[in-house]
Amino acid sequence: MRGPLIKKLIYIILISVFLGFLGWLFIALIPEPPVTELEQASRAVSQARDNNSVIYSARLFREAESYYDSAMTSWQTENNRFILFRDYERVKMFAALSQKKAAEARKNTIVRANGMRLSLETETARLNAEIAAFEKVFLSLPLPPETVKKHARGKLLLREAEIDLNKGQYVSGNVKVTEANEYITSSYTYARKILEDYYTGYNRWQELVRATVDESRRSGSYVIVIEKIPGLCHLYHAGKKRYTFEAEFGSNWIGDKINGGDMATPEGQYEVTKKLSGASTKYHKALLINYPNKQDIEEFKYRVENGHLPSDARIGGMIEVHGDGGKGGNWTEGCVALRNNDMDVVFRHSKPGTPVTIIGSTITLEEYLSTGK
Amino acid sequence: MKNRFFLVVATVAAVALMTSCGKVPQANIDAAVAAIDSAKTMQADIYLPGDFAALNDSLTVINQAVEAQKSKLFKNFKDVKVKADALAVVAGELAGKAVVKKDEVKAEAETLMTQAKALLEENKTLIAKAPKGKEGKAVLDEIKGEVTVIETSLTEAQTIFDAGTNYMQVLDKVKAANEALTAINTELKDAIAKVRR
Repeated sequence: MRGPLIKKLIYIILISVFLGFLGWLFIALIPEPPVTELEQASRAVSQARDNNSVIYSARLFREAESYYDSAMTSWQTENNRFILFRDYERVKMFAALSQKKAAEARKNTIVRANGMRLSLETETARLNAEIAAFEKVFLSLPLPPETVKKHARGKLLLREAEIDLNKGQYVSGNVKVTEANEYITSSYTYARKILEDYYTGYNRWQELVRATVDESRRSGSYVIVIEKIPGLCHLYHAGKKRYTFEAEFGSNWIGDKINGGDMATPEGQYEVTKKLSGASTKYHKALLINYPNKQDIEEFKYRVENGHLPSDARIGGMIEVHGDGGKGGNWTEGCVALRNNDMDVVFRHSKPGTPVTIIGSTITLEEYLSTGK
Repeated sequence: MKNRFFLVVATVAAVALMTSCGKVPQANIDAAVAAIDSAKTMQADIYLPGDFAALNDSLTVINQAVEAQKSKLFKNFKDVKVKADALAVVAGELAGKAVVKKDEVKAEAETLMTQAKALLEENKTLIAKAPKGKEGKAVLDEIKGEVTVIETSLTEAQTIFDAGTNYMQVLDKVKAANEALTAINTELKDAIAKVRR
């Protein structure tokens, strides 16, 4: 009776051990899920996103995200298979690649953001200097309103770029600074070109002034030398500079007078032909000069004959050194305007035949660019 | 024979019970995703980008937790459910906060815009009063040019403001305009004061 019972018990124990072994084997054969790998990868991607890799290292960041998505998709696919047949090696590989790319993106972002910050700082400083130079040197030139507007547009964009720089938004800052650079540099280049072209006459101006002052020294008389760029009228006596006054010119004062109505003040050697005061002038006092002289007439004829000017163009005239100046800016139609008190002095020391030399400037282009005076 | 049969049935039942006791709380996860989408619709990604990124991070953690549980023999999605529910709540709150933040930025942009417009008008008046000494006219012409450009920029800012798509962008534009207008205002007032002295 006891024998079969013991036998049955042993039989049950053996089956239990066997089933237990099978259970253990089953659990032991279940592959370890890639939880840690995926956590590390997502953390790396998140950190890369937080340091703006999406902006500064877009390609690397997209790759990191893509590898992460692949890891998750592979994980889902594996999880759909029978538990013992799952293989997470591909998942782990994608997760490792994602982590690696995210780390690269992060590192690259630090380098790139620093580079962009430096570039932005350098560019804003350079453009601010260019703006200051433009305003110091070129503002008094008769520039087209479009050029002045371009300069102003560039200036405003530069301010926006500086705001981005302070907020650490280097990408949009660099975009704005690039746009600002186009406006600021093009207006600066345009203005500088006008001045450089004008300064091609510098040697001739020097010769004219030297000849005029020599004439004053030789004859012991008064001569008038007028410089357009600094806006000055000098009165020399016996070769020595006695007076210097501020002067204003035609609104289109850069360059020689080409024809009547061009609002330009003529350049060259002239002389006083008539002194006007009282009712004979509306500008306090005036010295009429002999514009157009022989050379002006020849040049005008040449331009008309060669089609540089229309056939019905007129040469103009009635150019004076007169009073009523001091308005600020260059407002005449081609005359030279002085303040009334200054005009009184010039008028007193002039007579018909007094030389009047009008030039661009006695200072060099380099001096003018560095001082703006 | 009968005992053996019961043993096999019990084993199979136990395994079946243990492997199928957890179901993915998909409805809860979907609700969390919908809440995040709603926060995005409220432009939380623009006005509260850090917080919005945190929502996405939490969703990533939930998705990982789901797969982690699916990888196990004995699944338990209780924690996932709790996390998904919490995320839905936080995302809902963030949508509300985004609306508040957007209103704040809008109000700030509006105030700055009003200030800028007032400064613009004041500068126009000051330009008429400004002295025209040596080179004064050239400087005034430059200032007039700047004022025109700023006015255009403010008009652009107003257009973006009226569209209501991104008040942050308006804020940056108006701040730059205000700085430029303030600098011009100071320059003009200084020039006028010098003449009066």
